[in-house]
Amino acid sequence: MSKKVVILFGTESGNAEFAAEDIAAEIDGRDSEVVDMTDFDIADFTSDNFYIIICSTHGEGDLPSGAVPFYGALEADTPDLSGVEFGIFGLGDSSYENYSKGSERIDEKLRDLGAKRVGDYGRHDADTGTLPNASAVAWSQELLASH
Amino acid sequence: MGQNQVPTVAIVGSGPSGCYTAQFLRKRFPDAQITIFDRLPMPYGLVRFGVAPDHAGTKAVTQQFDRLFERDGVKFVGSIEVGKDKSLEELRAEFDVVVLATGLSADRQLGIPGEEKNGVYGSGRITRLINGHPDESLEGIQLGERVVIVGQGNVAMDLIRLSLTHPEELAGVGVDREVADLIAHSMLKQIDVVGRSEISDAKFDVAMVKELGKIADVRFTSDAPILGEEGDPETQKRIDAINTLVDNSPVTAGRVVNFHFGWVPSEINGEQHVSEAIFTAKHTGERKALPADAIYTAIGFTEAEAAAVKRDAHISEITDLETGRLAQGLYCVGWLRRGPRGTIPANRADAKMVSEAIIEDFENNQLEKVTV
Ligand SMILES: Cc1cc2nc3c(=O)[nH]c(=O)nc-3n(C[C@H](O)[C@H](O)[C@H](O)COP(=O)(O)OP(=O)(O)OC[C@H]3O[C@@H](n4cnc5c(N)ncnc54)[C@H](O)[C@@H]3O)c2cc1C
Ligand SMILES: Cc1cc2nc3c(=O)[nH]c(=O)nc-3n(C[C@H](O)[C@H](O)[C@H](O)COP(=O)(O)O)c2cc1C
Repeated sequence: MSKKVVILFGTESGNAEFAAEDIAAEIDGRDSEVVDMTDFDIADFTSDNFYIIICSTHGEGDLPSGAVPFYGALEADTPDLSGVEFGIFGLGDSSYENYSKGSERIDEKLRDLGAKRVGDYGRHDADTGTLPNASAVAWSQELLASH
Repeated sequence: MGQNQVPTVAIVGSGPSGCYTAQFLRKRFPDAQITIFDRLPMPYGLVRFGVAPDHAGTKAVTQQFDRLFERDGVKFVGSIEVGKDKSLEELRAEFDVVVLATGLSADRQLGIPGEEKNGVYGSGRITRLINGHPDESLEGIQLGERVVIVGQGNVAMDLIRLSLTHPEELAGVGVDREVADLIAHSMLKQIDVVGRSEISDAKFDVAMVKELGKIADVRFTSDAPILGEEGDPETQKRIDAINTLVDNSPVTAGRVVNFHFGWVPSEINGEQHVSEAIFTAKHTGERKALPADAIYTAIGFTEAEAAAVKRDAHISEITDLETGRLAQGLYCVGWLRRGPRGTIPANRADAKMVSEAIIEDFENNQLEKVTV
């Protein structure tokens, strides 16, 4: 049986949450849940679930405010995440110097702690004037077909 | 209100603070009747009429808000100015919850002699014009070779960039051609950007300064003293950004932009039209006269004297601006609540907090309609 999909979003202006909801709405035939990183207890990470991380970038290549406590908890508690698998989709705007760096910081931290990234690294560039929803859904469908 | 009931909600103003509030309330009350009123026929406030038209990524947030009206059953009622076309009292009698999200639209004044002369334009007016706001027109606007911008925040940075962008490029991002030709006119030779703060406290975001470096054929200068390492890394980033901009710009170019730090505006001279702006050095009292064919003031925003809804007229014994509570069933959010500071995302955090106050009051049965 397929693992339950937990979609963790880190946002500042709501785009990542909006895309996370659309990803969940398009998941057929398996359990899924959308959770704000701010409300997520990192002790709940389990290899029984599959994680989709969707996170934006703010300031100058910094984490969005919604991802800061999550990142801080990972840094402070250094949980052993071996066995945990995740896919990641980064939001950014290529007109800024540090394009899409926020998600990369989360990606690095999770891998440092033993989690395994699977599938392609998804990205969306807000400079196109679009929202990430359509490309994030397409990316997640492809990812979930094999995970 | 009985146990099974949900509140009816009116939000006045469809800028980001109003729209985010509708999002949060919709999540908690899937079946509530939520209506957003705006004095304009079209929604989204300063995201549509303030944010620069070449920042498509920032404007894209409106596509989140579109879904409120297209799918989530939130109603938009345009062309109703509350306090004029419909009184606030009427609204409060009709709805259990009224949230004021009307922003702060008036340009802050310099408060110096000569400010009323022709050729002095508020940045709010100019940015509304660039964005096609229905209240604005080109009438009476006359620029020239030299523009002085007073203020060094992000709005000033937008004005510098837009003034130096080719009109065709502006038209390409939706700016009216006549407006583009006026704002980014080929006569423009010099922009002086003057702030009262020293570079260490300047108000701009570093990313905005870096963006200026992408414009061709501009020489940048700065009168900030060359400083060594500053203690504070944020301060150092601002200094580095300006230094890099200046160092990487060509020695000779068709246009020049001069940054002046630590100068307080003291007077505007000219017959009927402006001819120069006078500044006084904050520390030494030295005077500086900058010739000007036009002056843009970009020193922030405040409540318009003619605003149809004024926040402080509704202060009551239960007012708590920290949480957005004004009176029973009446709330405020966004710039109107906390002042003209902060970007679009800050309004999301604000809307979340005020929505939580509304939900709490609902759950504690504090929303009984009052006769007002
Ligand atoms: C020139 C400029 C550029 C900016 N650029 C950026 C940027 O690039 N990035 C960024 O993050 N932030 C930017 N900001 C800041 C951002 O626009 C504000 O943080 C935000 O718009 C404030 O939201 P608000 O909902 O409180 O007010 P507003 O956006 O001003 O919305 C208020 C709404 O209320 C309506 N209204 C007013 N009175 C009434 C009434 N009596 N009845 C009915 N409706 C009424 C107005 O028509 C308007 O639609 C910029 C601001 C300005 C001024
Ligand atoms: C003030 C501000 C700063 C930003 N800085 C960056 C940045 O440094 N790098 C980047 O790739 N994107 C940057 N962005 C773009 C956002 O990451 C992008 O708009 C994203 O879609 C926002 O998603 P969110 O609403 O989930 O926070 C910035 C956006 C804003 C408003």
